[in-house]
Amino acid sequence: MKATLGILALAFGGGACVVGITSLLLGLQRKNDALLAVGRKCVAVLLVSALAAVGIMEWALVSHDFTIRYVAENNARSTPLLFTITGLWSALAGSILLWVLILSGYIGVTVRHFRKRASEPLVIWATIVMLGVALFFFLLVLGPANPFRLVAGGAPLDGRGPNPLLQNHPLMAFHPPMLYLGYVGFTVPFAFAMSSLITGSVGEGWLADTRRTTLIAWGFLSLGIILGAWWSYEVLGWGGYWAWDPVENASLLPWLTATAFIHSVMVQERRAMLRVWNLSLVIATFCLTILGTFLTRSGVVNSVHAFSESSIGLWLLVFLGVCAGAGLALIAWRGDRLRAPGRIDSMLSREAAFLGNNLLFVAFAFVVLLGTVFPLIVEAIQGKQLSVGEPYFNRMTIPLGLALLFLMAVAPALPWRAASGDVLKRRLLLPAWVGTAVMVLTLIFLDRSLPTALAFGLGAFAIAGIMRETFMAVKSRRSADKIGWMRATGRTLAGNPRRYGGLTVHLGVVLIAVAIAGSHTFGTKQEIRLAKGQSAEVAGYTFTYVGSSKSVTGQKTTLSTDIRIEQGGKSLGTYAPSVSTFPNSNQAIGTPSVRTGVLRDIYLTLVSSPNKTGRVTIGVGINPMVVWIWFGGALLAIGTIGALLPSVRRRPGFRVTGEAEVEAQSVSVS
Amino acid sequence: MESRSSAPTNRTQSKSRVRISWIVLAVVVIGAFTFSLWPRSGPESIASHTARLSREFRCVDCEGLSVAESATASARAARADIRSRITDGESDAEIRAVFIDRYGESVLLKPRGDGIGIIVWALPILLVILGGAGLGFAFARWRRQPRLDASAEDESLVAKERDGTNG
Amino acid sequence: MKSRVRVVAIITAVVVAALAVVLAINVGRDPRADANRSRLLGRDAPAFDLPLLNGDRTSSEALAGKTIVINFWNSWCIPCRQEHQALVDWWSANKDDSAVTMLGIVREDTKSATQTYVEAEGVTWPIAMDPGSKAALAFGTRGQPETYVISPSGVVVASQYGPVTVGNINEMVGAARRVG
Repeated sequence: MKATLGILALAFGGGACVVGITSLLLGLQRKNDALLAVGRKCVAVLLVSALAAVGIMEWALVSHDFTIRYVAENNARSTPLLFTITGLWSALAGSILLWVLILSGYIGVTVRHFRKRASEPLVIWATIVMLGVALFFFLLVLGPANPFRLVAGGAPLDGRGPNPLLQNHPLMAFHPPMLYLGYVGFTVPFAFAMSSLITGSVGEGWLADTRRTTLIAWGFLSLGIILGAWWSYEVLGWGGYWAWDPVENASLLPWLTATAFIHSVMVQERRAMLRVWNLSLVIATFCLTILGTFLTRSGVVNSVHAFSESSIGLWLLVFLGVCAGAGLALIAWRGDRLRAPGRIDSMLSREAAFLGNNLLFVAFAFVVLLGTVFPLIVEAIQGKQLSVGEPYFNRMTIPLGLALLFLMAVAPALPWRAASGDVLKRRLLLPAWVGTAVMVLTLIFLDRSLPTALAFGLGAFAIAGIMRETFMAVKSRRSADKIGWMRATGRTLAGNPRRYGGLTVHLGVVLIAVAIAGSHTFGTKQEIRLAKGQSAEVAGYTFTYVGSSKSVTGQKTTLSTDIRIEQGGKSLGTYAPSVSTFPNSNQAIGTPSVRTGVLRDIYLTLVSSPNKTGRVTIGVGINPMVVWIWFGGALLAIGTIGALLPSVRRRPGFRVTGEAEVEAQSVSVS
Repeated sequence: MESRSSAPTNRTQSKSRVRISWIVLAVVVIGAFTFSLWPRSGPESIASHTARLSREFRCVDCEGLSVAESATASARAARADIRSRITDGESDAEIRAVFIDRYGESVLLKPRGDGIGIIVWALPILLVILGGAGLGFAFARWRRQPRLDASAEDESLVAKERDGTNG
Repeated sequence: MKSRVRVVAIITAVVVAALAVVLAINVGRDPRADANRSRLLGRDAPAFDLPLLNGDRTSSEALAGKTIVINFWNSWCIPCRQEHQALVDWWSANKDDSAVTMLGIVREDTKSATQTYVEAEGVTWPIAMDPGSKAALAFGTRGQPETYVISPSGVVVASQYGPVTVGNINEMVGAARRVG
């Protein structure tokens, strides 16, 4: 019965999409407001149906309804409640259902946000495009990815339970939904971009209108990626946080183009140029989210993540083709009308830095895309198999990353329009010295490899630059308003949250980049074999095997070993790496135990359980600076929230219009 | 009077101080680069040689991890194999050939530069060069474009219009 | 003169279409297909010298001249259990044939776990351990179960990655016998 209800809800939603699209098209053509209103109501129906379908599926999961195939395959009676709930997105069909829900949510919020402009063709066409995308996903979830299919031959007594890797850690509750909130969010700017092309609206309005959504989606995607890295590190146990796995790459691709867009859009806001480029970036970002979904779900790539069904692959590929084709066709048709004869005055300007940023990010995305699909290309052309793995990606992306670090150091000091060389030299002098000092110290005391030293040096340069810019702004505010440091800081930050939010994000990114460089260069790994009570020394720490214990729950059987860590005679605590086995799978899942420290992590894994002589083999990893990645991620989140806040205007009296506000900002910044 | 004549001198002084500072900085940076890139003396230790080579081979039991990173027994055996071959004096190319012979070319984590693999190395570099050149041309074009300043005729036209609407 | 935007859009469309074609070709193809084709096919089998579970040793020399079915397996892999009955059946039908023999090589497992399995499941054909995974490396195995059939002249004639059936083994052995 639940299955029928679920399918009905989904059918309602799909039908609402069709009705909505039709009524909006007709209403637009006939200028009939009633039809337009019907279209908007359909959006509400969409959201309600999606909520209902998800609710029914969760109900089925929580009640262990094994007549439904999805529940039988991804849930068992012994599965804890948290992982029962997260089971909604732990396999293919359910994840598409989640996508549908989030998409309906975004459409609902967007339509409501634009309700006062609901009769504008721009908004109407954007709604039509969004409903079109929603229709596709509803068709997917009603067709090849239907989670409400029944088990052939009646319900089994117990379900198979989720993949052991997906019921190991509470992060499962956050990582996929965050990612989807990111991916799906890009549908909104995509819809508006397509709409602006269709209606030929030349203005910048749609950019400002969708700026918040783009930033929110970007923020969620960034968080989702970082949570994925955290999961890889804390849960998977191989000691790393990024493996250039094809599915990881697929999540990175739209992030890269979206980041490029966030920057180049500022050039468009100020100079009304790069319109076609920005439209292309937005459309590309959306298409890359579909490509990413395709790579994850079609089974074409070897991956830890891959869901293993392939019938959905062709559907997604066709949809990708339609979206990319429509986008390219629209750009080819309308692109010329949108082009503006803008120019950038000087290479020493923030606009120029943003162009450089775009080139680097697009190159980065190209490298990641090419590396990920190259094995597929070779297979299709020559029939042989090649791998493209970490050594390739590292070699190609490290120079790009270093160049981006350099831009992050220099760009905040660059004013809009043009800089005089003298001003720039003065502004950047101190940060450049800080960076150089750090680079030299790294070379002398830490490691002679140039990429590491450059990463540390440029990172220090960037951080010093950000600090200096902020400090100078606070200082001038303090002397202008004659107030104290604290109030001046508050006023400065609140006066331009977009800028300081952005600088905080940069700070986070720089920390992450430096941490990546540090952990790669200075990480060590070793295995030690210990009898009970025996100790060994690694990297200045003493590890003692205290004992082991076994725990059995309905969900899993866990063997954990207690390892005491000491340094200089002082105990740093006892940590318990473990291995778990799950009843319905032969996979043994190792869980590492990590002692997080500000400067370095101690990473313990249980390599082999006590053998006949009672010895265990423990993997000991010393991973420097990894916690800076998570901290950087937090800064990224805070900065994004800051950038979304409206600025607190302290100039009383006159009300500024959009362009004047932008000009005022540019003046205050330079 | 005195301050006015010394003010430009102060500015010039501090300008040249800044310039000297940057020159010193550049020298230090070049020195650091040279120090870093100076060829290191001494042979590579067997441990780091093994680690370096094992990073090139894919662990066949795993999803994309290298033989250096994986903890599986087959990866461990592969590392031991690489180590014994290095100790026997086999060259990097010979060891790679052995692994390719066993597992096929897909055991290499980065494609070789010869054959079709050249695409994956050359294409991105080409893209960056082309993109950079494109930007360079664009900047040159923009510099050549005269900045549009309103001429006196334009100003009078505007003034006439404005008076027209006001009047 | 065509506008630049249009030219770029057309070029991009061509590239995207080519990518879509490549992806479409790859859909439905198993990315692990490469593992199913052993690189050793048609070449001399690697030499091996391994300790048997019962304490003796076996080697490629000792088994030379026979058709050898080598089965890499271990006690914790589920597909190995799936093919276990097929191996048992094939061995009981062929163990008296002196021209052919089967050798199970344990890949990545402990001696005690293997011993327990052998006793519990009634494995009667020779089982060898592989200290240091040398044989697994030499044969270029990618996992388990993996089965190779070597002709009497020492050439690897056939291989299969994944569980085998009695029919599979008979087919491979037939091919080996034809090579001689």
